[in-house]
Amino acid sequence: MKGVPTVLVTVSPEVSAQMRPPRALYPKGFKIGNSLGRPGIRDLQKKVLRDALGLLSQNTRPGEFVTIEYPEYGEQYEPPHVKKL
Amino acid sequence: MTISRKCVPFTPFERELSQSTIAIVSAGGVHLRTQEPFNIADELGDLTYREIPPDVDSDQLMVTHHHYDHADADEDINVVFPIDVLRDLESEGVIGGIAKKNIGYMGYTMQLKAMYEGTAREIANEIDRGSRADAVVLTGG
Repeated sequence: MKGVPTVLVTVSPEVSAQMRPPRALYPKGFKIGNSLGRPGIRDLQKKVLRDALGLLSQNTRPGEFVTIEYPEYGEQYEPPHVKKL
Repeated sequence: MTISRKCVPFTPFERELSQSTIAIVSAGGVHLRTQEPFNIADELGDLTYREIPPDVDSDQLMVTHHHYDHADADEDINVVFPIDVLRDLESEGVIGGIAKKNIGYMGYTMQLKAMYEGTAREIANEIDRGSRADAVVLTGG
């Protein structure tokens, strides 16, 4: 296996960071269960997916997250944090 | 295949996106209504996964997952499994196509080692050998 390029869309960046994904998009303020946005808002879903796919060919640093704000999402949510033991 | 626990396993993407086939792999508990639901009764989680074809009618997809609120996904599966959105991007020429296999699994598990060393590798092999995907979009709940 030579590997397959991946890009993660996560609404829990702190939690996802523990798995060190090679490329990741955090749509800022999206709640859990809304990785691509809100239901029925296809333009927003498409924008998020295009941004995620765009990271495949951008010069991103492996393991780092790209945060993008989407004002059209509306109400913002705080992402979950990793509990420190 | 071994997975490094020290390095970020980065695979370069060296194709044109418009010529590339994209697969979705989602931890959001997505599966076909005709497929066996994930076992949410097992407190350790369900380590199995479901293959989802590229031509699936999104109305035939559902979520079985009890560790996030999937009411929005029940209304529009694209919020966690953007299959219709990929179709839009394909018709607009942004991507080349949708992979032969897409994958749904339930991201919650207490069996991390089995997920990491078993399920994750099986899914990677499905994508690598059977899907003809040039790249993968990963989503959670």
